[in-house]
Amino acid sequence: MDIRFSGASVSFGGRLVLQPLTLTLTERRIGVIGLNGSGKTTFARLINGLVKPTTGQVTVNGLDTVRDESAVLAAAGFIFQNPQHQIIMPIVHEDIAFGLKNRGLKADEIERRTAAVLERFGITHLAKRRVHELSGGETQLVAIASVLVTGPGILILDEPTNQLDLKNRRLVENTITGLDEHSIVISHDLPLIEQFERVLLFHDGRLVADGPAQEAIRAYHEVAGC
Amino acid sequence: MLNGLNVEGTTPLHRMSVRMKLAILLVCGLALYTVSSLFILIPAFAIAALVYFTTGLAFREAVSRLKPILFTILILLIATAYFTSLREAAESFFRLMAIVLFAGAVTATTATGDFIDEITRLLQPLDRLGLVRAADVGLAFGLVLRFVPDIFNHYQSIREAHRARGLKVRPLTILSPLIILTLKDADTIAMAIDARGFRRPREKHH
Repeated sequence: MDIRFSGASVSFGGRLVLQPLTLTLTERRIGVIGLNGSGKTTFARLINGLVKPTTGQVTVNGLDTVRDESAVLAAAGFIFQNPQHQIIMPIVHEDIAFGLKNRGLKADEIERRTAAVLERFGITHLAKRRVHELSGGETQLVAIASVLVTGPGILILDEPTNQLDLKNRRLVENTITGLDEHSIVISHDLPLIEQFERVLLFHDGRLVADGPAQEAIRAYHEVAGC
Repeated sequence: MLNGLNVEGTTPLHRMSVRMKLAILLVCGLALYTVSSLFILIPAFAIAALVYFTTGLAFREAVSRLKPILFTILILLIATAYFTSLREAAESFFRLMAIVLFAGAVTATTATGDFIDEITRLLQPLDRLGLVRAADVGLAFGLVLRFVPDIFNHYQSIREAHRARGLKVRPLTILSPLIILTLKDADTIAMAIDARGFRRPREKHH
């Protein structure tokens, strides 16, 4: 993974929500922390081109997020805060297969890859279930599976353990830490973030700490005043 | 009716192609509007009910799916009986119910993905003329099926919030937060569609 920010900033309606940022991300597990409204989600959305930089440039494995939008979207999958919003089809199996169908794969290949990803995340038993019937943890796993089935090398997760009970949180945490793909995780779940190689702390739209998890978490406590 | 909740099965309807099912539904619908004899409409209703209740849906689920549309049809029945005659009301009732049951049977035996694919294929000629983006219409259809229950859940949450605060539930006070929540969801869903690469590129025609 090679993600580069070169003086990338974001303004919405004339308001600077992310200050110019220059950094390179190559680590396997990267955490992003900060208070609400600190610019974490904007930062994450810049990576896969969902938000375009107002100034500067962002590249993912050499691909420009503005110029090579489709290739960037294929390289970096995104899990939204509310995974319900990204599960488009009513049945789990249909939703996972839909991403592959849109890429023009043949039926047998779609079936093979769908079965493989269901097995990988231990959710084969959910294949025929309606998405409305899933628990929070199951929904999160289905969302992750439906993104990873298309083979992005990078996965960006926006507060994946938010609103989950302890059991489901452990389930999702274990899944995230066990991923083969590179992952960038925005979270307030500090026990999860502690396990990451590098952690970025945002405050008021600025990157104020960048380093090992313990250092960044300490700085987070100072920023939060608790 | 169209909440995208199909049931698996091996009935002839399950095995039939989506196009054939839609064509039969269209023909039946049109044919039922050309007849006004109860001797035809009542058996048509009975056949439709038989088809619907043998799709594999649990009886309770099958009945529950009919409730919202049944309410509308009953209002229509009362209005027709009042303004015209009981006979015409009965004709309307059996005609509409037969169509609803046939449509329900098609829904219950067809996966949403297959619906989307068929709609996309059927719109290809218009896509070629540059009038529509067939894939987008197919996706939009799928989104409606998927997210209508979510909008209903929002409605219920807002209604409960009203009750919890001791407020009277009025359509206008429910409508505005419902629209705001739905639009907010729509924004995220649109972003998710982009993120997952669901918008198929337009096919090139030579």
